[in-house]
Amino acid sequence: MRGRSIAIWAAFALAGCAHSSVVLLPDEDGGHGQIGIRPAGGQGGETVMADANSRATLGGSQPSVRPLGANGLKPNEAAVLASLPPPPRSFTLYFLEGTTQLTAESAGALEQIRAEVARRPGAEVQVTGHTDTVGSNADNDVLSRRRAEEIVNWLATKGFDRKMMSAVGRGERELKQPTADSVASAVNRRVEVLVR
Amino acid sequence: MTRTWLFCLSLAALISTPAFGEIGRIKSSSGVANIERGTEKLPAATGQELQPGDWLETGKDGRISLTFVDNTRFAVGPDSRIALTKFEYSPTTQKGSFVAKVERGTIAVVTGRITKTRCDPMPAEAHSCGMEIETPDGDVDPHGTRFIITVRK
Repeated sequence: MRGRSIAIWAAFALAGCAHSSVVLLPDEDGGHGQIGIRPAGGQGGETVMADANSRATLGGSQPSVRPLGANGLKPNEAAVLASLPPPPRSFTLYFLEGTTQLTAESAGALEQIRAEVARRPGAEVQVTGHTDTVGSNADNDVLSRRRAEEIVNWLATKGFDRKMMSAVGRGERELKQPTADSVASAVNRRVEVLVR
Repeated sequence: MTRTWLFCLSLAALISTPAFGEIGRIKSSSGVANIERGTEKLPAATGQELQPGDWLETGKDGRISLTFVDNTRFAVGPDSRIALTKFEYSPTTQKGSFVAKVERGTIAVVTGRITKTRCDPMPAEAHSCGMEIETPDGDVDPHGTRFIITVRK
């Protein structure tokens, strides 16, 4: 009984006022992607939203796509957009040859990372270590992990929970600057720190 | 030698985090905001880990914002019910597959690494761009972008 009255109410609401919709927005860096829409029930082909700031109304056999227009976003849409988490931020730190010791310049950048982690509620930190091609693959796997671990350890001393941090080493598999084997490269001796 | 072993053990512990199955985390929430996991109902507290199959549920004044391990970002508006139906991602290859379902409510999405920017030629079948969002009124297939879905019931 209750189920039926809800169903009738829902059908009335759907027919009466608002429609489901998709709004395609510009990316944060200014470009934009596209969105394909397929009607429910697997009937009919895909409609493509190709322009930023357009709205597709869903529900019919074919979605209708229009520019967002002067009215822009609805208040509830603007509010949900404003509550998106900030984009992840990444940092690169460099090391002295064959060591887990940061270059002087990179040591100075640690504070920026600490501040970034501190200002994000529920922050996660992913540290990925790399080496240049001097030394064996096996040694470089260990060295790259130790470089990553060094940064996690430092953040742990600043009071951040290890549970929100991870350290992995990629050895010499992902060179920033491609080189032959056994080539020292300051650019390749690095960790990448992703703060999310 | 012992030191080396200890070092390797601690390293293994480090590498094994985050815990298996974690696909993302709650960054903030307000009002009535819960995660439904099977028969459990967990508050959507900051830092709470998410797993495939979780439902995000908000009340009239509820909001949840969250990020996924591939850098996808969600903001969920009031009176919403959203399933994280499927989430598979390899950090090494940076490839995966993500299926969510918006049963009702409003969601803003910025796509992450799972969703490819260029799917050329346009995909003829589902999941070819990596992410799909199902709604009662049709399925949404983003090709690397920022967008808002509202489902009225």
